Amino acid sequence: MNNMKKQLFESPIGESYVLAEHESGLKIYIMEKPQYKSSFAIFGTKYGSIDTCFSKNGGEQVCVPEGIAHFLEHKLFESEDGDAFSKYAKTGASANAFTSFDRTCYLFSCSDKFYENLGILLSFVQSPYFTEATVKKEQGIIGQEIRMYDDSPSWRVMFNMLMQMYHSHPVRIDIAGTTESIAQIDSSLLYKCYETFYNPSNMFICIVGNIDTDKVLSQIEKGILNVAPVTIERGEINEPQTVVSNYVEQKLEVAMPMFCLGFKQKIASPYRRLKSKVCVALLLQIICGDASPLYEKLMNEGLINDDFDCEYFTGRDYAAVIFEGESREPKVVAEEIKKEIARIRVEGVDKKLFSAVKCGMYGDAIRRFNSVEGLAMRLVDCAMFDYDLFEELRLLKTVTYDDVMRRLDVFDEDNAVLSVINPREK
Amino acid sequence: MADMITKLAKGAEGLFIKNERFNTNIISFNFYLPLKEETAALNALLPFILTSCGSQYPSFSKLNYKLNKLYGAELSASAEKVGDYQLLKMSVSVIEDRFTLDGEELSKQAIELLTSLIFEPSVEDNAFLSVDVEREKRKAIEHIEGEISEKRTYARKRLIEEMYQGEDYGVSKCGTIDTVKDITCTSLYGAWQNMLSRAFLRVNVVARSMPAGLFDTLSQRLSSIDRQQAIEHLSTKATAKAKEVKTVCERFDVAQGKLVMGFSSELAGDDKTAAALTVMCDIFGGAPYSRLFTNVREKMSLCYYCSASAVKVKGMIMVDSGVEAANADKAQSEILNQLDIMKRGEFSDFEFESSIKGIIDSLNSYNDSQRLIDVWYSLKAHDEIPYSPEQVAGFISAVSREDVIRAAEGAQLHTVYKLMPQETR
Repeated sequence: MNNMKKQLFESPIGESYVLAEHESGLKIYIMEKPQYKSSFAIFGTKYGSIDTCFSKNGGEQVCVPEGIAHFLEHKLFESEDGDAFSKYAKTGASANAFTSFDRTCYLFSCSDKFYENLGILLSFVQSPYFTEATVKKEQGIIGQEIRMYDDSPSWRVMFNMLMQMYHSHPVRIDIAGTTESIAQIDSSLLYKCYETFYNPSNMFICIVGNIDTDKVLSQIEKGILNVAPVTIERGEINEPQTVVSNYVEQKLEVAMPMFCLGFKQKIASPYRRLKSKVCVALLLQIICGDASPLYEKLMNEGLINDDFDCEYFTGRDYAAVIFEGESREPKVVAEEIKKEIARIRVEGVDKKLFSAVKCGMYGDAIRRFNSVEGLAMRLVDCAMFDYDLFEELRLLKTVTYDDVMRRLDVFDEDNAVLSVINPREK
Repeated sequence: MADMITKLAKGAEGLFIKNERFNTNIISFNFYLPLKEETAALNALLPFILTSCGSQYPSFSKLNYKLNKLYGAELSASAEKVGDYQLLKMSVSVIEDRFTLDGEELSKQAIELLTSLIFEPSVEDNAFLSVDVEREKRKAIEHIEGEISEKRTYARKRLIEEMYQGEDYGVSKCGTIDTVKDITCTSLYGAWQNMLSRAFLRVNVVARSMPAGLFDTLSQRLSSIDRQQAIEHLSTKATAKAKEVKTVCERFDVAQGKLVMGFSSELAGDDKTAAALTVMCDIFGGAPYSRLFTNVREKMSLCYYCSASAVKVKGMIMVDSGVEAANADKAQSEILNQLDIMKRGEFSDFEFESSIKGIIDSLNSYNDSQRLIDVWYSLKAHDEIPYSPEQVAGFISAVSREDVIRAAEGAQLHTVYKLMPQETR
């Protein structure tokens, strides 16, 4: 038996999970799904592309090149005794990793040999091995990856918007960095970032599937290296409320214009609570979900198609509501959205629509318990923001019309940015 | 598997796939029609218009209001290519009744909703309504125009068009902009009637238990439709060897090029017949341990991505890569070199064993995704009795090194499609 502190979370829909804390500060979330054949495991760190300036244990602040978190993710797969992919190849697991604005995650899924795979995961994430030669080679591969994104209109339309929305917040920079910034990366910088952010006290493990909680915890207890916890101070971000400009466009090889309309939210604290996120998600469904009057109008007038979508985009020190899609008339769509927000501010919304949308979102939340991968990803959110996985279900039963309408304050029409990708002229 | 199939009418079957691990049920209607240039656009519009409104839910917002009330029941539509056929798929996924707050019969209502949309659309005087047809035509045109924006998908599509020029399989699954423009309210009505009377139909139910009376009700509904001409079996032509390799290069204003290569294979058919082709493609370019990934991408840095996949029913292999223009020729010869290595059997035991394990591991995970199970069976319509993922795992484990070498030997380059930056860049 292991000696970790454990807490059991249960829900009325028959699902439960355990949160355990290792003495190093590592948090471990485990949800057993015995009726499933497969399992999904994630070993992650609270370290993403926006963590470009930081200090460790009260030391001096350092600023590192943009794109280094993603670069480090690529390099960590290599160890002195070969790369992690070939180790997984022996077990048949399927492995991957990703870096986003605020996290880096290493993951695998398998339907057999789970404990062997977990051993591989624990081992390679804790064994950095960087040399000047391997760094050099990676600069070539990542350079190509960056160039690939330069051709991707859906990627460009989003980052062009973020560049105009934020003056200094690093969320405005591509996750992979730029060809210039990654050229500055060397092995000593990689070790510096690794030693700061890949400390167990800044990390989490989330596992869902056909596994035994106690057996997993014992294995993790033995597999986590004994290192002293660190305190990390992330650089302060002085981001004004204003945007850089309200409009940006670029020409690319597309058939129809693509757009991204973002409303920069005035925020008073670094993070949003789960209740705010749930309420804003409901509000967005009411404003422009597929049962809304606006959606039907835009669709029947030929202004949007099935690619139209919206999201609440939020993380440390940033929050925005984003509408995106393809349209022959992006400016008209942006005006229609702003008009609808203004109308709802005055007139409110149909309460029947509110309760239908709430019912729909409750069903969606239940549906999400079907997927071991989706659940593991959501447990990562729990680890990042200290949520309880079942809180969303409770909120979707209890939030009121007024709770949701109050969130109309996320829209600051003066600080909105419209980004458009137009077709090149032939 | 045979006991899972219920005959509903001529050329129409119900397939119950029992699975007790999900919170939801999925019911899908899968209509299969021959893929032809003249009808591809018309047929492809059907799943979308039928799931956008119906006689009981005349507007999009009314239909979606109802779906929200059914606890976010998800209605999906797609038009896919399955061998030489078009698959018109419409499905509903709904949470199980036990999760409702007031004991509503969700599954029953969701099935009734989907059935009414398919069999009782919003029509007048033997024609769909113009507002609906125009909306769906516009969306279809925008979709086809939009394919060019994502170069990787576009390049793959162009390879298929060039490789199967003049053949049914070369026809785009959604038709062309011109054939979409030609659609009228009446011609679409005719296509809908043709789908109901002629298409091979498989209704998949993935659920904890079979919804009571579902197949009987459907059988009754189908008995009122004249299905004398209904298709009862699907058969697809295997890919013929090319007399000489065809190369097509198109230039676009892009930073990075795409290189897609199509090969004919001597193995074409169901999962059992083509099991060795699956393993061969996986070792060649399927996973991180594959020859293309480790050599062409990692060791030689010639491509950002480089992978191989097989279309078993057609006996076709596709290699798909993203390359810098300057490296394109080098990448192409290295890809062919790796295939020669496969043919000579110079792949390692490690690669062979990793591949078998990797494929079996992912087949064993199939039953953990309800959506994947439904898709799995809808892609097996050529087989009278479709194999389950577990059965296919059995075929894979029986594949030998010699089988893989034979599968590689049967692969022959057919067509090369290059999408390259403008020469002046």
